[in-house]
Amino acid sequence: MSDVMAVILSGGSGERLGVLTAERAVAALPFGGKYRVIDFCLSNCRHSDIVDVAIVTQHAPTSLHDHVGSGRSWDLDHRGGILILQPYTTRSHSGWYRGTADAITQNWDVIEERRPDRVLVLSGDHVYRMNYRALMETHVESGAAVTVAVTRVPPTETRRFGMATLGPEGRIEELVEKPERAATPFGSMGIYLFDYELLAERLRPRPVDLVLDVLRPAIADGVPVQAHEFEGYWEDVGTVGSYYRSNLELVAAAPRLALFDPRWPLLTRDEERPPVRVGDAARLEDSLVANGCRVDGVVRRSLLFPGVRVQAGAEIEDSIVMADGVVARDARVTRAIVDKYCRIGEGAVIGEPGSEDSGLTIVGKDAHVPARAHVAGGAVVGVGAREDDFAGGVIDAAERTPSRPWYQELV
Amino acid sequence: MIGSRYAFILAGGVGSRLCLLAERRAKPAVPFGGKYRIIDFTLSNCVNSGVYDVGVLTQYRPVSLNRHIGSGRPWDLDRLHGGVQILQPSPGADREWYLGTADAIYRNLVHLRRRRVDEVLVLSGDHVYTMDYNVLYAFHAANRATATVAVTEVPEDQVHHFGILETEPNGRVTGFLEKPKKASSRLASMGVYLFDRTRLIRWLVEDAAMDQSSHDFGKDLLPRLVARGEAVFAYRFNRYWQDVGTLDSYYESNLQLLSDKPPIALDDPDWIIHTQSADRPPVRFAPGSRVANSMIANGCRVEGAVERSILFPGVHVPPGAEVRDSIVMHDTRVGRGAWLDRVIIDKEVEIGEGARVGSGQVTSANLACPDHLSSGLTVVGKGAHVPDGIRIGRNARIGAYVRASSFGQDVPCGGVVDGPESKH
Repeated sequence: MSDVMAVILSGGSGERLGVLTAERAVAALPFGGKYRVIDFCLSNCRHSDIVDVAIVTQHAPTSLHDHVGSGRSWDLDHRGGILILQPYTTRSHSGWYRGTADAITQNWDVIEERRPDRVLVLSGDHVYRMNYRALMETHVESGAAVTVAVTRVPPTETRRFGMATLGPEGRIEELVEKPERAATPFGSMGIYLFDYELLAERLRPRPVDLVLDVLRPAIADGVPVQAHEFEGYWEDVGTVGSYYRSNLELVAAAPRLALFDPRWPLLTRDEERPPVRVGDAARLEDSLVANGCRVDGVVRRSLLFPGVRVQAGAEIEDSIVMADGVVARDARVTRAIVDKYCRIGEGAVIGEPGSEDSGLTIVGKDAHVPARAHVAGGAVVGVGAREDDFAGGVIDAAERTPSRPWYQELV
Repeated sequence: MIGSRYAFILAGGVGSRLCLLAERRAKPAVPFGGKYRIIDFTLSNCVNSGVYDVGVLTQYRPVSLNRHIGSGRPWDLDRLHGGVQILQPSPGADREWYLGTADAIYRNLVHLRRRRVDEVLVLSGDHVYTMDYNVLYAFHAANRATATVAVTEVPEDQVHHFGILETEPNGRVTGFLEKPKKASSRLASMGVYLFDRTRLIRWLVEDAAMDQSSHDFGKDLLPRLVARGEAVFAYRFNRYWQDVGTLDSYYESNLQLLSDKPPIALDDPDWIIHTQSADRPPVRFAPGSRVANSMIANGCRVEGAVERSILFPGVHVPPGAEVRDSIVMHDTRVGRGAWLDRVIIDKEVEIGEGARVGSGQVTSANLACPDHLSSGLTVVGKGAHVPDGIRIGRNARIGAYVRASSFGQDVPCGGVVDGPESKH
């Protein structure tokens, strides 16, 4: 029996991230030049000495499994390792997860077997460095049965959050989901610490959603629910905009999120790549470039993940290029997110060079953009796109090419 | 098959010609190639060739090496069966250290006792090369050899540094000359041996009893075997192999990685060079950074100029600093406006603001080690503090952990500034 078990919710379909999460869970999205989003949660657990960790998966879990493996990279491979809680069937039951509470309820036997004092529910979609032990202290000191981490959000952002109204001593009096306006500045971060007994009792009626069907009724019933204010950087990367912004913020002069702190290193799976090679004609400014990259062109305000090759004459600006992408000679990539294994052909133009307010352009995983093609700002190139998808060589803004299966060329 | 192969890696090397770089660490632990250590090549060769049972023999300053190898995780050598084990010296009846390479293996023969292997691979942890030992095993079996020595061709003027093998056209070894002045052959032993297990045990026991032997494979055992007509074969290896034995060869072989066709592929997905991961973020390039033809590892921050250089993880090059033709190891901080030219800087060094290291003409070799430091390179030892504004000439040697207060005025060409005596 451990004092706390962490359950990381990573099953969401990430619809607002479109083509980026067509084939992966949000938690498996590459982030910060070499990490995946879930590295934040897993590193937080590791550094908070929480070793009993389960991950709830449902949507497109392959990349997440590949990444997490046994949990070795986070020192979480002892005591049975990270436990994956996938949806399952039994003789009498077929159970896709209908919601966050349902996912936990369906796996209650596993949690019951471990019998922790408390269950820490986390979201795998968030980027932040947090010591969960501080949250646990607040919980114990306040004598609450549930503690919810909250962060101050600007008034214009309240409709993205559950907003918590706090009473004296930080008790939560009301939790309103995604209001247009709120009198309180405190948004819920989707991090909940439950006393085991309370959660067991509240899951008995088989609720679907943790906020609507568990937390809000509990507050209404007078269960002591405490707020724990977190003052550090925290971001939900669930939309293309927030994902792009929080990545690009890392290349700004003084990023709010420090990727390197020797006392709290962000841990990830080692890609085992050689150091970055920078050629004679390269120019690099305000960029993060990971091991395994080879740069002979120009890179400004961008993030290059491991193994990206930027050929001579190519220019990348304000963009994210994920692992093993090739940006061929004289190609230009501006305000774009280019997923893994893409090839941007010679002289191709992605996004609108020189324009600061065109929409973001997204190139899906494994797409090949032919030489001299033009993909307008705001366009989306589907997963696995090939030359045929670029008839006329131009993809207009707001246009999207279809996604293709990886085996298209084999069948 | 579990336990079908076993390798000893000799990693006790003193590396005296590497001067400061191997002063406080064994040669196999010397950093190489922007993020690796020299022994990574041999360890990676082992696992990439399916050799998952490895004993590493240490003697000289092993802490750095032991820390690097740890449980063997990066090489998949933290295993239930086999894996990597550090074989430290322990005093025998005569309380001697390892006398030579053959003696080192002789005193570890117990590790062969219960291992069901037919052959024993004996390797050196000092060399940079990628080699599939499966080919060596196949060669050994095809020739019914009792000992196979991997050889590489070296230039005629280099034969005096190596053990040179004379062979018949089929590879059978007819002569073995240790560091000859002149030789008719240019085939040098790479320090990679494959032995028949039973015979190796017999030969080592025999050698151990010989008073006149220096108990070395190259000097004693192999020449004796060849002289008495044992089936010793030379396996010719035609790819890159480098004994980074001197400061000059260390520098050159690192900088060769920057050429258009580097002699060794560090990015071959089918032959990954495994090493300890440093948990560092990607390289950060700031506005105003100018970088050309360089290799820069994760965790570096570049705001100044870097040209034809190799930066290991965590190096900071601030605005106005310039690094040229240099190798700078982990977590060294270069001061603003400092300027480095043809220097090798060990880990965790602080270079003061406006300091000029590697400046001026070459007028003399290093005063303390003229034999190893005369080509114009300047070396700064681990943890040294180089004061602001100082000039340090070429061929200079700045000792490990030197405090800034130990410097008087500028250090001339060939100058020496010694750090505090090592506590051990």
